[in-house]
Amino acid sequence: MSIEDKMKNLVVEWDEDGLKELCSSLLNDNQSSPEHLLQIIGNVMKFIGDQFENEEIFLPDLIGSANVVKAVIDDVLDPAIREKGGVKSTLGKVVIGTVESDVHSIGKDLVASFLFSNGFEVFNLGVEVTAEEFINKAEEVGADIIGMSSLLTMSMDFQRQVIEELNNRGLREKYKVIVGGAPTSEEWAQKIGADAWADDAIEAVSMIKRIIETKS
Amino acid sequence: MKLKKINVFSKDELEQIHSASLELLQEVGIKVDSDKARATLRKNGAEVRDDSLFVKFSESLIKEKLKSIPDSFTLHGPNGTYKVTIDVKHSEFATIGTPVKIYDPEHKKGVRKTVMADTINQIRIVDSLEHVVCSHIDVWPNDIKYTALHAHCIYQWVKNTKKPYGLGCLGRLASQDMMNLVSMIVGGDNELINRPRLVGFMNPTSPLHLPQIMTNGFEVFAKYKQPTIIAPEALAGTSSPVTLAGLLAQTNAEILGSAVLSQMYNPGAPIFYGTVSHITDMRTGNSAMGSIEMGLITAGIAQLARHYNIPSRGPGCGSDSKLLDMQNGYERLQTLMLAAQAGVNYITCAGTYEATLVEALELLIIDDDLIGMVKRAMEGITVNDETIGIEVIKKVATTKQKGVNFLAEKHTKNHMKKELYFPKLSDRNRRSTWYKKGAKAIIQRAQEKVNDILETYKVNDIPKELDQQLLQYIGQVEARTFDEYKKAEDLMVKSITLPDGIEIKDKD
Repeated sequence: MSIEDKMKNLVVEWDEDGLKELCSSLLNDNQSSPEHLLQIIGNVMKFIGDQFENEEIFLPDLIGSANVVKAVIDDVLDPAIREKGGVKSTLGKVVIGTVESDVHSIGKDLVASFLFSNGFEVFNLGVEVTAEEFINKAEEVGADIIGMSSLLTMSMDFQRQVIEELNNRGLREKYKVIVGGAPTSEEWAQKIGADAWADDAIEAVSMIKRIIETKS
Repeated sequence: MKLKKINVFSKDELEQIHSASLELLQEVGIKVDSDKARATLRKNGAEVRDDSLFVKFSESLIKEKLKSIPDSFTLHGPNGTYKVTIDVKHSEFATIGTPVKIYDPEHKKGVRKTVMADTINQIRIVDSLEHVVCSHIDVWPNDIKYTALHAHCIYQWVKNTKKPYGLGCLGRLASQDMMNLVSMIVGGDNELINRPRLVGFMNPTSPLHLPQIMTNGFEVFAKYKQPTIIAPEALAGTSSPVTLAGLLAQTNAEILGSAVLSQMYNPGAPIFYGTVSHITDMRTGNSAMGSIEMGLITAGIAQLARHYNIPSRGPGCGSDSKLLDMQNGYERLQTLMLAAQAGVNYITCAGTYEATLVEALELLIIDDDLIGMVKRAMEGITVNDETIGIEVIKKVATTKQKGVNFLAEKHTKNHMKKELYFPKLSDRNRRSTWYKKGAKAIIQRAQEKVNDILETYKVNDIPKELDQQLLQYIGQVEARTFDEYKKAEDLMVKSITLPDGIEIKDKD
């Protein structure tokens, strides 16, 4: 079985330990480079993302696989790249979370997994994320995009507050802001001064790809 | 545990129905048109009087003959690769009906007459379905001569499916043609008898009457041990008492009498204890197949079949609607679910509506999905340590990270496919996504699947020699005169009205 197939099986089976072990041994034996392994993992995630889009697999398959891959990148491949003094190539860095006072995570996690499987570096801050937390993380990692989710009409306004806080700190131009969630709309995004709005995970990915292109 | 089967009779009530049926069989008997069948019945101990067509059955004769009826059998497809076992415990699903029209949105009436091309398409669609195990000659090829259509249908069956096939017991001659043709296809009579390919269909005419042509065909099916459905179509209030208990006592007698005859023809011949009985609509006089009472009748038949330990057959997916509308939807699911809950072993009529007179290939696709849902419902809720999942509940509930849920847990991955039914057609998208996907109604989505299946369908390869043999045989069937047909069925009349209401007569 090729390395690609072995890795694909481990990702599909959510075998985090197995994938870590395989990557570590390939690196230790100099059989592969972290960049090469990242590339393979990227292809595997693309394959899984396509399967999800074609309704061949389901939400847990996508999110679970993305979690496994993320753990392997964070714990094995990133350190290996840093050790060599290299920089990981990525389509862009996205800080994502559900806004303050809102605990809904499924839609946002789907967007995060989808972005990840499409080659973005994703920092998923979870739920009830404050403006402070969004901005600090974006500053810390040098993000390109801040993505905010909200499922409640009551929590929507916190999306506006994050943008206002960016303005207050003079950081608004530094980041592209995309918002989404059931009660939001394109009009809402315009009203609060966001750069973009997406209706679902697939649209969010293509929207962010477009924004990144215009940014660079 | 799995869902419990519905019983519509207490033990005493069941006994009461059984006794009433015995009384009918002993005191009145069943009118048997066929001289030959009456002779067989007389030879095997039934009471046949020369001045009457009625044949009476004693309790001991019935008891004795029921013993040899098998409680399970396996049906095979033409090349033997596909098989499905019918028994007294499980439910399997199939088509059956007499659609003479088919849904056609392009046509100004929304339906048009069926032709052989539709018959073929129906076989192909059934072949591709997950849950529907057998297609029957339900889509009527109106463009084929009546006396030859069985031969044409068998030819299309071998070319277009891997699944078994059902045909009516359309007389002695036609049934023998069926056996001869299938025997050529599968490599001989022994193979056909040992691994049956066909499901026969025999309708006693209510009340208490076995019509000549079908009885003739029934004999052939029994001799070749092709499982045959015995299914009276009594209508409460017209061809049986309006009371459901009365209908069931009467049809039970019709089924038992026919079952006894089948074992006289060939001990061990497999049969289905069946029904397609329903009610008369007292406003219009029409039959009402989508009625809730049909579900109750079917449940009664299933319980009686369990009592006799014979696999049962009953209709599901029945609807009287003329449209693919909400009435069509609720009636087909209500009859399907009741049949499944009643424990019917062979649930039929997928793809039909308007009391099975009209077919929609789209409904076949939808019914396959409904059957998947019903099968899931029947599985009930499995309770054990693993399904309770106490560990995963503890883990997720106490995870420090906010917003963690069960989606990415191995427990979810391991159980979701068995625990949840994944509908193929139901739309569960958000409205915006549904719009993006074309804002399609379910019929349109089903139609796209139909088109996909038919566009990519590959016809079975059959050896050239066999193909020629079959075509040659069909040629002979085509060449027969109507007189020959009548002679073979011991009928010398100008025209015949078949049990399904179709009249055939000489052209001149």
